[in-house]
Amino acid sequence: MFETLKVFLRNKKALMGLIIVLLYVALAVFGPMLLNVDPMQRVGRPHQPPNPDELLGTTRMGRDVFAQLIYGTRTSLAVGFFAGVIIVFIGTCLGIAAGYFGGWIDEVVSFFTNVVLVIPQLPLLLVIAAFMGQTNPAVIAIIIGMTSWAWGARVTRAQTLTLRNREYILASELIGERPLRMIFVELLPNLLSIIGFNFIGSVTYTIITQATLEFLGLGNPMSVSWGTMLYHAQNASAITVGAWWEVLVPALAVAGIGVGLSLLNFGVDEISNPRLRTLGTVAAAIKAQNKLDKQRLAESRS
Amino acid sequence: MSFVIRRIGFYLVAFLVAATVNFALPRLMPGNPIDIMFSQQNSTLTPEARQALVETFGFASGPLHLQFLDYMRSVFTGDLGYSIRFYPQKVNQVLAYALPWTLLLAGTATLLAFCLGSVIGAFAAWRRGGLLDAVATPLSLALQATPAVVIALTALFTFGVALKWLPTGYAFAPALDPAWSWDFISSVLLHGLMPVTSLMIVFVGGYLVTMRNNMIGQLGEDHVTMGLAKGLSDRRVQFNYAARNALLPSVTSLGLTLGAILGGSLVTEVVFNYPGLGQTLYIGIVTRDYPLIQGQLLIMTFATLLANLAVDLLYVFLDPRLRRA
Repeated sequence: MFETLKVFLRNKKALMGLIIVLLYVALAVFGPMLLNVDPMQRVGRPHQPPNPDELLGTTRMGRDVFAQLIYGTRTSLAVGFFAGVIIVFIGTCLGIAAGYFGGWIDEVVSFFTNVVLVIPQLPLLLVIAAFMGQTNPAVIAIIIGMTSWAWGARVTRAQTLTLRNREYILASELIGERPLRMIFVELLPNLLSIIGFNFIGSVTYTIITQATLEFLGLGNPMSVSWGTMLYHAQNASAITVGAWWEVLVPALAVAGIGVGLSLLNFGVDEISNPRLRTLGTVAAAIKAQNKLDKQRLAESRS
Repeated sequence: MSFVIRRIGFYLVAFLVAATVNFALPRLMPGNPIDIMFSQQNSTLTPEARQALVETFGFASGPLHLQFLDYMRSVFTGDLGYSIRFYPQKVNQVLAYALPWTLLLAGTATLLAFCLGSVIGAFAAWRRGGLLDAVATPLSLALQATPAVVIALTALFTFGVALKWLPTGYAFAPALDPAWSWDFISSVLLHGLMPVTSLMIVFVGGYLVTMRNNMIGQLGEDHVTMGLAKGLSDRRVQFNYAARNALLPSVTSLGLTLGAILGGSLVTEVVFNYPGLGQTLYIGIVTRDYPLIQGQLLIMTFATLLANLAVDLLYVFLDPRLRRA
């Protein structure tokens, strides 16, 4: 376990990503506890630029942007995490079922996965959210989760199919293991990396999509999240009147978590597939190799 | 040929599924669909006026399966009913005005993003670990994870408001009439520059990383080593041997990202006040114009499926194995 962690931390991209994501998580968990204010409260005059009292300025309603950011981080991350769990759960169940059982189950599941995959996501989400009326963050998480599992199901199915033909699976089948045990003991552990990818990607996707939906006015304007912050900023024409802090703060927050999560994802990708590594990692590998060569040379001489 | 027919059949079913979802959604929601449709206006409507509106907008009553058949007939005859916000215009008229702008915006951005991403990706992979690779790859990862809203808003603030270099909204200067004149075309180009570029930036990263990773896989193949051993020029090996094969998975991902591009285009249009489908959808949502919103889903699904079909045909052209099958 410790060894795996070390390999993981040696990759600069993965390390950077991990640090960014942990920062956000810490902010979401501890921020509101430490701050302990009502983010919807008016604290000053409207559209105050950043100053010592209001670190990131105020909105047009005179609300503190910093407090909104901290509380919004909690909402947005919670929605991302919750929807990510739903997406991974549905995707993994369907993917394994299709890949393991094959036959008509595979036919049906694959067909529906492909259909869902080609129907444009955002318009569909918009229509669902529009009919639901004012949707709070939990509802948004559920509808994103219910509509976005197709990609994960497809990838999981493909990986299950390749595992299905490995010898150890055939061997355990010959011993007469029950399907449930096969899935949970033989298949699932080997699918963990795919499931992890799916989860990180889904969280990124959900956070972006939630911000988009709320920006378009389909969220509950009384809830505090990055998306509603953008929505209020757009409604207050914050950009045109020059109140850049009201727009830029939530925008950078969304961009930051996206970058962190995708660095994490790509770093993990590089670790599992060394051919993809870029400059820094290649140089590090060459250095390590040279060191090893010298060591061996020294050993052979002595 | 059978490949193409199978794909067309598949898209037809996908469209039917989307249309069915569209039909079922308002009927699945709690309460009467007609009440939801007119919730915005209900307080000011007399029962007679409401009844008249219901009939005008063609919400059939009667058993569900008859409603469904009615609905399907109107979908396939291209009659999407009246828009509430733009009454007395029909939904198709509103959408027909908006569609070309979205096609222009999303189409140009997709083409540019795909070409630029694939070319840079091919070069980054050829010199893996080189300067280009070290800069472009992490950068495109970051761009890929940045939502369209953020890029569009940042561009709008920087170039539209702070520097005042480019117009902040609309597809052309409001004083001009659409015509094939130089004034009009240059105005369209100028107004389109910022939306197209910001939409392109959102998607270029994805294509770049896909191409780079495919290309790196290709460079390890025997036919590439063989080409180099034969003494072919680097460029020839890079483009004719490696990039050509690496492009195939990129084309697949092009098909799958079309839906996302349409979504990104929606947001970009709202930010830049561009008169495409996204802007229309936004107006529809704000005013709770349900017939318009539903028509949007259908037309967008249709556009995405059509574009997917085009990608499939392109695939047949690119991959000789499919032509024989």
